[in-house]
Amino acid sequence: METRQSARMTADWRWISTGVRLGLATVWLVAGALKIQDLAGSGRAVNAYEIFPYEVAKVIGAAQPFLEIALGLLLLAGLAVRLSAGISAVLLLIFIAGIAWAWARGLQIDCGCFSAGGTLGAGQTPKYALDIARDIGFLVLAGFLLWRPQTRYSIDGALMGEK
Amino acid sequence: MSGKKNLDRSKAKRVVQEQLARERRRRVTLWTSLGVVAVLVIAGLIGWSVAAGQENEKTAGLTTPSVAVDEGTAFAVGTGPVKVDIYEDFMCPVCGRFEASVQTTIDQLVADNKVTVQYHPIAILDHASSTEYSTRSAGASAAAAQGGKFAEYHRVLFANQPQEGGPGLDDAKLIELGRSVGLTDSAFAGAVDDGTYHAWATKVTGTAASRGVNSTPTVRVAGTDLEQRTPQGLIAAVEAAGA
Repeated sequence: METRQSARMTADWRWISTGVRLGLATVWLVAGALKIQDLAGSGRAVNAYEIFPYEVAKVIGAAQPFLEIALGLLLLAGLAVRLSAGISAVLLLIFIAGIAWAWARGLQIDCGCFSAGGTLGAGQTPKYALDIARDIGFLVLAGFLLWRPQTRYSIDGALMGEK
Repeated sequence: MSGKKNLDRSKAKRVVQEQLARERRRRVTLWTSLGVVAVLVIAGLIGWSVAAGQENEKTAGLTTPSVAVDEGTAFAVGTGPVKVDIYEDFMCPVCGRFEASVQTTIDQLVADNKVTVQYHPIAILDHASSTEYSTRSAGASAAAAQGGKFAEYHRVLFANQPQEGGPGLDDAKLIELGRSVGLTDSAFAGAVDDGTYHAWATKVTGTAASRGVNSTPTVRVAGTDLEQRTPQGLIAAVEAAGA
């Protein structure tokens, strides 16, 4: 049985987790929405990493914004939060690896994280360290939800019969 | 006696309840997880099909200008031995500055019959104007090429480059600029008005991307990316390639 104090702690964690969940949902929704208007551009942004052939990059670039928005909506609704957070973490790790790869190879690109991306023009310098730091910040959010997936106002909670 | 019995019963009840709750959690976790996976797979497939649909729509009714070279994706200026490929977007400010800085150098290299310049007007900045100016201007430049005035027209387009984030130049202005370089026939104006070469601009952009051109300007001298996009850099690269 939980003591009153630990029940109280759990309730507090739930509120924090709820904030984190909504924060991460916002990140995905914004990232996806900014790319969804120009799917061809999103494909070119993936192509700029020079990892995949253009035909493959096009498919990834087209699917990615929709995936991001779907993840955002799932987190917003609070459906299978632990799994959604886990998938978020995996995606973020892939993005971080991609940016690190571009950095290591000396590519001059915009990461395309929150934009159509592409190669940078003359006089523009990439901000890889900043991009990676930001993604690690998001990764921390996802990690927190993996650790404490129980949140308020979630479908998970409603299905589990919680108040 | 009866107190102990009650205690046992309530304990048993609690155990059963906990078991039921565990069972419920397991069921919920399983089904919500399956739901999440299904949603993500469907979202990805939607993205794929939407993008494919957009591409089909944008490349429907493809008309390739007959004067285009390099698999129908570029317009050649000059006949020299060293091939210079220039990928530009008429919306791109850096391209405008590049054009202004190398204009006389390119004229000289062409006049000396050292280079064949292949201009690839690509459209990667449609989002930078409210009217897809990149695609419209690239299409107009194809119409100008059909009228034999690509070099002149592409220059006047850069000289009149609109601001990023605005509406771009409208079709009437594109036709007027054509008239200013001698494109006075109805074929040019008609092609601009009808957007005859818009699908072609999309195709050229795709071809460029498949060649690893992800930004503008991209300049390749004899197939090698030009790092120093200055008159001196260009001359040096042409000399090196010609030697």
